Formats: sequence, C-alpha cells, structure tokens
Amino acid sequence: MNSKSIVILIFLALLLVAAAIFRLVITRSVGGDLSFALPDEKYVMYRLVPLISALIVGSALGVSGMGLQVLLRNPLASPWILGLSSGAGLGVMATMFAEHSYGTSIFGGQTIGALVGAVVSLLLVFGLSRRRGGIDPMTMVLVGVVISVLCGAGIMIFQHLVPMGLRGSFTTWLMGSLPEVESWWRLGILGVVVLFCISLIAWWGPTLDAACLSDDEAKSVGVNLPQIRRRLFFTSSLLAAIGVILAGPIAFVGLIAPHGARIVMRGSHRSLAIATAIVGALLLLAADDVRQLIDFGTGRLPIGIVTSVVGGLVFLVLLLRGRGRV
Amino acid sequence: MRLRLTDIGVRFGARAALRDFNASVDGSKVVAILGPNASGKTTLLRTIAGLQSPTVGMVELDGRKVEKLKPHALASKIAWVPRVAEVSGSFTIRKVVELGRYALGPSRQRVEDALAKVDLLSRSESLWYEASAGMRQRAVIARALAQRTPGGVLVLDEPTSALDLRHLRMVGEMLRQCASEGDIVIAAMHNISFALDIADEVFVLKDGQLVLAGATKAVLTPSSLGDVFGVDLAWATDEAGNQHLVQP
Repeated sequence: MNSKSIVILIFLALLLVAAAIFRLVITRSVGGDLSFALPDEKYVMYRLVPLISALIVGSALGVSGMGLQVLLRNPLASPWILGLSSGAGLGVMATMFAEHSYGTSIFGGQTIGALVGAVVSLLLVFGLSRRRGGIDPMTMVLVGVVISVLCGAGIMIFQHLVPMGLRGSFTTWLMGSLPEVESWWRLGILGVVVLFCISLIAWWGPTLDAACLSDDEAKSVGVNLPQIRRRLFFTSSLLAAIGVILAGPIAFVGLIAPHGARIVMRGSHRSLAIATAIVGALLLLAADDVRQLIDFGTGRLPIGIVTSVVGGLVFLVLLLRGRGRV
Repeated sequence: MRLRLTDIGVRFGARAALRDFNASVDGSKVVAILGPNASGKTTLLRTIAGLQSPTVGMVELDGRKVEKLKPHALASKIAWVPRVAEVSGSFTIRKVVELGRYALGPSRQRVEDALAKVDLLSRSESLWYEASAGMRQRAVIARALAQRTPGGVLVLDEPTSALDLRHLRMVGEMLRQCASEGDIVIAAMHNISFALDIADEVFVLKDGQLVLAGATKAVLTPSSLGDVFGVDLAWATDEAGNQHLVQP
C-alpha cells in the first residue's frame, strides 16, 4: 500500500469518526427541537447500538458489493440489485413466520435464514445469467431484479399470513432500520465475522485485481478462477446476509460504497476493500445522521428510506454517465 | 523447449472448430498461424495456451500435458496475448502490465523493461479505459513480456491488428528477440507481409484443419494462399528489391 493510499484511508477514517461523534451528540426531543449534547448515561446505549450497527452493516454491505462487482465483472452489481438482500429478507421473513407459527424461537434461525436466502438468490442469478458459457452483465442485472421482485412477493405472502398485529413489525423491518436495542454478544459476533470477511477480501486483493481481466487473461497470468470465485461468492453472500440480519433490507449502500471508494482511491483491491468498508460505514452513519435532522412530524424516517432516496439518485447518475467501473 | 500437438480436435457442441491437428515446434522459432476468418486460429492458440481443453488429443510442453499444469506453472511457462483485452477495473496501463507478474512475484525492473519495449513508458500512468486500441494492444503485449520466462512459450492472437507501422515494426523486432532468447513464439495474424518478415514457420488453417505447414518462404506463395483465401495473389517487388504478396 503506497503512502497516498494510507493518507486517503486516514482521511476517510477521520470523517467516519466525525460522523460517529455527530451521531452520539445529536438529539431530537419529542417536541422536535434539535440539540447537540452527549446523552445521559442511561441513554448512551440507545445511540451506541445503532452507531455500531451502522459500522457493521455499512462496511459489510459495501465490501459485499465490491466483491460481487469483481465476481460478476459488473459495476452495477450489489447485494440489493442482485436480489441478495431480498433473498436474505425472504429467509428472515420465513424464519420469523416459522417462529410465530410454532410459538418458539429457533436458535440462529434468522441468521441461517438470511444466509440461505442470500446464497440461493445469488446462485439463481449466477445460473440464470449464463449464456454460451459466459456471464452476460445486462442479463444478470435483469435476472437480479426479477429475483428481487419474486422474493418481494414471497415476503408479502408471509406478511399476509401473519396476524394483523404482527404485520406492523414486519413492515417496519422491511423499510430497513438500525436497531436501538441489540445484545452486545450478538453485535460482537457479527462484528467479528464482518471484520474477518473484510480482512479476507482485502488479503485476496491482488487476486481480485487479476480477476478483473477476462477469464482467459486471468487464467494465463496464474489466477485460480474457480477458487477465488467460490471464496468471493461465499464471503459476499455472508456479508450481505449479516447486513440484512441487523438492519433489514438496506438499499444501495452495497452499490454506492465501492464506487465512492474508487472515486477517492485507485489501485489494488487490497486498499480498495478497506476504503470501501470505511465509505460503506460512513454512508450508513451519515444517512443515520441525516434522518435525525429530518422530522415530518411523524417521527424519524427509517434509514432504509434515506439510503433508497440518495442511493437511487446516485445509481441513476452512474447509469446515465456510464462511468461505473469495477 | 518442445511443443507437441497430437491429434488435436476441439468441438463446440456440434461444430468442430479444430480437427486432427498435428504439429511440433522447437524453441527459438517464430510460428505464424494464418487462415480465413473462423478457420480455427484462436481455438488453436487457446488450446496451446492451456485455456481451452481439447476434445480429443493432447498438447505437451517438454512431455508434460499443458492442460494438467496448475495455474502458477502455466503462467510461468506460457504467456498469452488476446486479440482484444478486457480489463474491468479502473487500472492504469502500468497496473495492467504489473498483473503479468501476479503468479511470479512483483518485479519493477521487468515491468519497466516491458513498458519500454512497447514504447509505453511515458504513458504508463494513463487509465486503461481512456487508452486507444493501439495502446491497449501494446500494454497487453508488455504484460506478456513482463510475465514470460525466457525459453518459454509466447502465444499471441492477432497482436498487431491495432498497431501503426512504427509499432508494428517494434513488435516484430521484439518477437524475433524473444525467439532468439529461446522462446517459442506462436502468433495468429492476417498481415501476410508481417508473417513473411518475422516467421520461421507458418501453419495455414482452413475450416478447422491444417492445410499448409512448413518454412514461411516455401509455404506462402501466391498459388497456395490464393487457394486458401479464395483470392488472386501475385508477387510484387518494391524499390529495395523486397518481394510482397499483393492482390493484382
């Protein structure tokens, strides 16, 4: 990693710290007034939990998106566009429905449900996008959208099947929101897994660089393509699933974070993976900051709405300018 | 170094892209692969480079099956230059050339030398997606130069299709130099004059079959090539006394 990359990473990290401090001190009273002060000790948890969740979810979705963009050689790839988030969401919904039906919680149920949903979605997208032995990028995005819609329909079926009283919590979850109450051990385990996956992807950085060549070229310079694809496939799915487990389906962070990182940093995927993790966390934390500032008199906006509005516009700009590159 | 191709056949579904190909090539030789469009040139090169498994037959390098080589071993013995390179990252030209060292370990000197040999040293920080077709072609040749092990195999698919005359000459000299260092250089091309200039031997393909093979000057005649390409050709002599194949 060269000195320029290190300076950029330090700058991004400082921005992240500033956004985190802002999240800790910003307060909106019940009446709607804004103020800036550290909360009482008994309320600190309610800010630390969403803050740490934003760090975990943002970095997980960002690096998952980067992995998928390399895996599929498609700058439009992201957990949300390719239906991973919806697949994971369907898995979580199915688990929640099963837990409700049997009246008991399933150990690790939502985690396993999300992971299975994400992996199955990616397998379907990967399989259905193959043409003449290769992957067609545009077909892949379209298949991803179809899988997303089908998973969305599945989610709505589960919503329809649960009693009226439970539908509200399903709907809130679907909007995407950072938890304010979460056990530390669960956050800790998910955080460690995310950190491990990001470290692995950063470690594979030089291989990811070479995998950006065509299959023939990558193989000829010595890349074991089946191996790196299996690795990326699993780690990207796991990261996307963790994002969904903690915050529900958060749109666009997985797409925008890698592109944001590439705007400020060129070069190896080793440094890019770290930059993407920071930018992803920064995006989600900034979105969380923004939603504290907006009040339509109906309470704070779910964070998924903020990321959808901002991310949707950025996605449109990327499409129109045709500048998105892996 | 000896490359041996025995009874090679490659099928894509019902279509036979290559049939009954037998040949052997020794080190220090430049071999030109010629033939009409869709005659099997690229399939043959990909098979030699270990990128395409033959449906029947085998490719051996010093007695070892190429398709059995592990990725690292393949990269250390055979360097590949595609007709059109695909790079999906926001990489500079230098970074693309550095990828040639992926399996063999970084070497700043090899990368610098390779960039210099294709006249890209001063443009090495240009972005790949902003580079011209000619620059990209030279960059991929430089990547193969940075990767190649002297005495190995250099496989090139139409490496000069986007090059101007100066760079065409430069690449021709560079390929000859690789052969003089012991490499087997195998290149598909449509430029017959270029083949006459640089190749020791030539293989001519038609409909997936080897129809002509041998020493370049003996094989490339107006009548033999006229039959293969379905055109009338004749020798023409320039002011320097060099002979060229032309369409009268």
